[in-house]
Amino acid sequence: MAVIQIEHLTKDYGHHRGVFDISFNIEKGEVYGFLGPNGAGKTTTIRHIMGFSRPQKGHTFVNGLNSWKNASEIQKNLGYLPGEIALPELLTGMQFINMMAELRGMRDMTYTNYLIKKFELDPSGNLKRMPLGMKRKLAIVIAFMNDPDVLVLDEPTSGLDPIMQNIFIELIQEEKEKGKTILLSSHIFNEVDATCDKMSIIKDGRLISTFVPDELRSSASKTFKFEFNIKEQFERFCSEVASQRKLEVIALKRDKNQAVISVDDADINSFIHLIADYDLKFFSEVKFTLEDYFMKFYGHNSSRGGGTE
Amino acid sequence: MFNKTIFKQTVKENLKLWLIITLLMSVFCALLIAVFEPETISNLSDIIKGTPLENILEQETFLGMIAKTFYSIHGVILPLIFIIITANSLIASQVDRGSMAYLLSTPIKRSAVVGTQAAYLITSILVMVIIVTIIGLFSIHIFQGDTAVNITDYLLLNVGLFLLMFAISSVSFLFSCTFNLSKNSLALGAGIPLAFFLFKLMAQVDDSLEGFKYLSLNSLYDTNAILDGGSYLAQFTALTIVGIVLYVTGMRIFTEKDLPL
Ligand SMILES: Nc1ncnc2c1ncn2[C@@H]1O[C@H](COP(=O)(O)OP(=O)(O)O)[C@@H](O)[C@H]1O
Ligand SMILES: [Mg+2]
Repeated sequence: MAVIQIEHLTKDYGHHRGVFDISFNIEKGEVYGFLGPNGAGKTTTIRHIMGFSRPQKGHTFVNGLNSWKNASEIQKNLGYLPGEIALPELLTGMQFINMMAELRGMRDMTYTNYLIKKFELDPSGNLKRMPLGMKRKLAIVIAFMNDPDVLVLDEPTSGLDPIMQNIFIELIQEEKEKGKTILLSSHIFNEVDATCDKMSIIKDGRLISTFVPDELRSSASKTFKFEFNIKEQFERFCSEVASQRKLEVIALKRDKNQAVISVDDADINSFIHLIADYDLKFFSEVKFTLEDYFMKFYGHNSSRGGGTE
Repeated sequence: MFNKTIFKQTVKENLKLWLIITLLMSVFCALLIAVFEPETISNLSDIIKGTPLENILEQETFLGMIAKTFYSIHGVILPLIFIIITANSLIASQVDRGSMAYLLSTPIKRSAVVGTQAAYLITSILVMVIIVTIIGLFSIHIFQGDTAVNITDYLLLNVGLFLLMFAISSVSFLFSCTFNLSKNSLALGAGIPLAFFLFKLMAQVDDSLEGFKYLSLNSLYDTNAILDGGSYLAQFTALTIVGIVLYVTGMRIFTEKDLPL
């Protein structure tokens, strides 16, 4: 049974805002990336997993327990990092940590102290006057402190400096080795790329893609880009490739006499045989990057939409 | 239904305002008791003869005087201010700011969170009224040693004040539990109790406005009935029932509502 189950979750806030028919499962030990631009519906989905909101349609389960009906039971073994950090005022960081420990019935503070040290957190100051970066680190410590088996992290790295981001990624990898199940939301692709076993992309409240990055990376097909020296040969190739079932045309650039073709590894020899007849200027493999794949879903107005090679 | 850790934290968060209000109430109470002289009443009556305020001072006993001043104005408006601010901060403002997410990401049930906050509001008002009552008793002993004061009636004035505040706080608490935005919770949670206060005052000041008393929960705290041996038990019971029903309703709403955290 999956640790986190989301089944046909729908919450319509009106004006096409909210989430619509979201379904995905997170298995035990998986680090799951939940990606989407701002306003896509990540926080709304997480709100339902936490049992703060009642679904209009569908259900969410954590460890087989209905989030809405068993909210407090679920929290016993769950760590939550809210997307927006709103800490109670009037407390010092340490008082807040101790209060949360008390509310969770924790006695052993060894792991908490380890986390405080790891993130170089100074919890002595008053929460009201604490700088934002420090507050974010405090929120991370709070989410992980009771060493729960399930972690729900809403945009965990936003507001962290690059050094702390790396420490955070290190922490995620440690937790993963311990077999924790982690949901990690982000609107920045690079944040989840390094850590996630599986990803879903959400846009305008709907899941538009779910994939396993490693499978995509080691996919059994390659993409090649090449340029013809002679215009006529390029035209001939264009007509020949149209009749070839085994080749997938990604792009044909007439102005540059360039072609971008994707080929299954199994068909690579017949492809080389075919291409050997032509007079080429260059021939190169286009490395697959997840970011290109991801950007495809973000629309074409992104500055990084061109991808990297 | 109750959590000690949250209660301690809530006491701490609201201590400053509670202390200020309790102190102010105690000072006003002691002051009004200290300055009372039977002659003051007749002097005042002369001054305001023919003005609408005349009705307010018709009763000339010590308790009558205290009832028309402290138990109608200072002793009501001060705890009202405490209730309005505190009720909002207990639930709605924490939902609005988002800090409620931390409490609810622990194994503590929503019913325990809201139950603890309700328990705090009721307890804080109770302790406030008890302190003011004790200060009052001391002040009577010190400043009015020669005046005949019916202590039972004095205590009943305070019981009534507490029950009124219990009922009023249930209104503010209900709206704090209902709304996710502080501004909405405050609009009704402050607006309605203040309107109650003003309606009662208007009804007292001028006979032509007497009808307003039927629009005010505060009219159920009838100090004349208490002092003149009239019936007040039914009103006390009504205040208690209103308070219980609205507190329970508020807690239930919070336990079952959608939270945008
Ligand atoms: N409580 C709410 N009431 C109305 N609309 C909401 C509410 N919460 C979120 N929304 C809307 O739903 C959409 C999804 O928001 P959210 O889940 O916060 O996105 P994300 O976390 O991916 O940035 C947004 O358009 C947002 O304005
Ligand atoms: Mg969000």
